[in-house]
Amino acid sequence: MATVGRRERKILWAASVPMALLALSCIYPLWFAINNALKDNRGYILDRFGWVNDPTFENFVTAWGRARFSEYFLNSVVVTGGAVAVLLITASLAGFALAVLRFPYRRLVFIVILASMMIPVQVVLVPFYKTIIGLGLLNTRIGLILSYTAFFLPFSVYLMAAFYAALPRELTEAARVDGARFWQVWWFVMLPLGTPALITLGILNTLYCWNDVLISLLVLQRERTLMVGITALRGEYSTNVPLLAAGIVLAAAPIVLIYLVFQRRIVAGIAAGAVKG
Amino acid sequence: MSAQRRKAIGSKAERRFAALFLLPSLLLLLIFRIIPLFWGFTLSFSENGEWIGADNYVRAVGDTNFRDSIVNTLLLLATLPIWVMLPMLLAILIHQGVPGGKLYRAVYFLPAVLSSVIVGAIFNIVLRYDGSLNAALKVIGIDAVDWLGSSSTALGSLIAVQLWSTFGMSVLIFLSGLSTVPDDIVEAARIDGARFWQRLFLIVIPSLRPIIEFVAVVTTIGVLTSMFGLIYVLTGGGPGTSTTLPEFLIWLEQGRLNRPGYAAAISMFLFSMMAGVAYLQIRIMSRNANV
Repeated sequence: MATVGRRERKILWAASVPMALLALSCIYPLWFAINNALKDNRGYILDRFGWVNDPTFENFVTAWGRARFSEYFLNSVVVTGGAVAVLLITASLAGFALAVLRFPYRRLVFIVILASMMIPVQVVLVPFYKTIIGLGLLNTRIGLILSYTAFFLPFSVYLMAAFYAALPRELTEAARVDGARFWQVWWFVMLPLGTPALITLGILNTLYCWNDVLISLLVLQRERTLMVGITALRGEYSTNVPLLAAGIVLAAAPIVLIYLVFQRRIVAGIAAGAVKG
Repeated sequence: MSAQRRKAIGSKAERRFAALFLLPSLLLLLIFRIIPLFWGFTLSFSENGEWIGADNYVRAVGDTNFRDSIVNTLLLLATLPIWVMLPMLLAILIHQGVPGGKLYRAVYFLPAVLSSVIVGAIFNIVLRYDGSLNAALKVIGIDAVDWLGSSSTALGSLIAVQLWSTFGMSVLIFLSGLSTVPDDIVEAARIDGARFWQRLFLIVIPSLRPIIEFVAVVTTIGVLTSMFGLIYVLTGGGPGTSTTLPEFLIWLEQGRLNRPGYAAAISMFLFSMMAGVAYLQIRIMSRNANV
């Protein structure tokens, strides 16, 4: 539909108006949070909707210090970083095995890994919680890292397997003829070649882990991640909207930044599951 | 024949490495997802360690909270066409070169990267009785509505916020699908005199069918399993049970009310709903992967 007639251009211009409003609505909440985070509580109560008059960073200081967001932030960084690292290594190993190596029941294993997507955490909430307690993983960061890996793994394995399956088989065979062992093929050939897919998965999984609240609520009950911290902030300072807004800005900033920098990668990753390629 | 067979299943070293490489993935899935599923199934027939047969299921059918959560789910699923059609329409318009389209595409996705907790916390303030939505509606002469506090609008508000925060994702999926629709067929139809709408309905939308299926499946899974954070922060399931969905009810039952067996029974209902849709997703994905 490359060429467009004059009539059609009119339709497109008319459609652009509601689309622009929709776009504004997508930016509004972020503006709302930033704008109100810069007000003091009195300033917010006096003028809840207008632009901030004399911006103050007091709320960020309070959120970071007294409301313990520095601790939450560290927890989120450690847990997200750890989970993404484990996810990438595990998924790359499994993807390589499924796409390149030959062994009995290969297809069945692939289906079992995909089928575990049918079991979201809500479906196994009670036994999952009991498992975490039974393994002594309650209130440990490693417990949350392993849980995130288990719950975000199938898509990562799927994507790595699809990526490796599209590479020419000769790569592995040539390396084998040269005397490389399978782990060497993985480490020296597949891991470097898989970089584009690994970067995409790294970003997507960072979003998922950073944004999660349910698994984090269950596993880390004493310490908190940022998203649990926000729910706590709402409870403890329910009347202080600017402070809550500051917490929201602190929690959202890394993700928005990642989105702005890696937009194309994220788009590619999301399209990967949908479009045969 | 035996050489052929050996090739199909690989050498001994190859099989050993395959097992080793798959071990971490399979172990994690087994420990945290697959075994808990079967364990949960057994748990659902007991309460506090005592075997009570199908009592939990019988109780669920008679429980108004549970029935309300199912009704809410059905209402939510009834809005599914909007979740698919709206992003499709937006994607087609962007693909057609709507003025500002590239910017819209980037901005529409912004809410999708935000955590449901953040979206919920912001909209909890925006949708209050004295919030900015009502203030804006007042300007155009519409009376204030207690969006989250009245049981007639709470579910609608919850659905709208979730739709708002995920439609950008579907727009992206449709756009990547549209880029695979061959331009020359559309162009040929145009030369043959097919109008804009004819081209849209006779060529573009039919060739998007696999994408429509995919978006419908992914969206259904999303609304069944990823609204916990939003409900938790935006409405807490209320007022009453008007925004309680099964996944939230499971949380309430296992935690606040301390009835793990009953929670496990409701989980099995959710699982049976999930399994059907997830099966479709897995079929689409394994078709696309060529593994």
